[in-house]
Amino acid sequence: MTKTILAVDDSGSLRQMLSFSLKAAGYGVIEAVDGEDGLSKAKQQKVDLVLTDQNMPGMDGLSLIKALRAMKNYQNVPILMLTTESGDDIKAMGKAAGANGWLVKPFDPARLTEVIRKLIG
Amino acid sequence: MISHEAQPSELMNVQVVRLLSGVSVHGDQHLAEVERDLVQMDVLLNEAIKKLCASFMAIHHAVDLQQAALDSLLADNMRTPEYAARFKTLRGEIDRHVGAAVTGLQFQDMTSQLIGRMVQHLAGLRNVFGALDTKGTDMPESGNEALLAMLNHISDRVGAHCTELAGGVRSTVNQRHMNSGDIELF
Repeated sequence: MTKTILAVDDSGSLRQMLSFSLKAAGYGVIEAVDGEDGLSKAKQQKVDLVLTDQNMPGMDGLSLIKALRAMKNYQNVPILMLTTESGDDIKAMGKAAGANGWLVKPFDPARLTEVIRKLIG
Repeated sequence: MISHEAQPSELMNVQVVRLLSGVSVHGDQHLAEVERDLVQMDVLLNEAIKKLCASFMAIHHAVDLQQAALDSLLADNMRTPEYAARFKTLRGEIDRHVGAAVTGLQFQDMTSQLIGRMVQHLAGLRNVFGALDTKGTDMPESGNEALLAMLNHISDRVGAHCTELAGGVRSTVNQRHMNSGDIELF
């Protein structure tokens, strides 16, 4: 059965690149334009992994992670941050919020899918 | 107009007001132009990345179809294994180039974030310049005390705009190269 990934980023081109790379690796992809949209889509359909940006208008990535972790069916779903930020403080905040990993942009499709395969097969 | 009977303190007050208004108006004009150009640059970059992405996807799709046709020809004609190995190598090279292109095409996400920050800072600076403008209403008639009161009022307005700006600006981008970033699993 195809695993589904929720890709949350306010940049259209980044979402396009993510979607292209993940579909080529055999995953289904749901796109969301910001944290609120991501939360709404996660509620509509349970996904196998969430990949989210941090800096977005409205609800940011950390707030999205906290909201997802508060939902019973998302307590064990892997969540990865994909962001331009790489500071230790923000990473620690991500980890505390419930992120399973931190990926600094730009991403390489092969390395990204390698990490995702480790987490959800 | 300043009358010939005007006192030195009155002259100074008028000059201060003129100076502040001049800085405010001209500063705002220049910043408005820079802001307009940045927004225009963002529009063009956005348009360019859309076209680049669409073309890139189309090329990739065409290469996929070509590869499938070649695989089919090879299978039908039972060609020698050397051909199959050669096409496999080519496929690997194409995949590497596609991966590198996907990484490079992410530039717009970062430039857009930087432009967004610059526009926010410009808007903040325009507010600061706006705060310097007395618009004639606060002009003291005479005396250093009145001038001081007016300058204090302006200073408070500038401070308020600076505080407002500091709280709402997006994070900066520190990447210097378009190579794949670090990955850390917790």
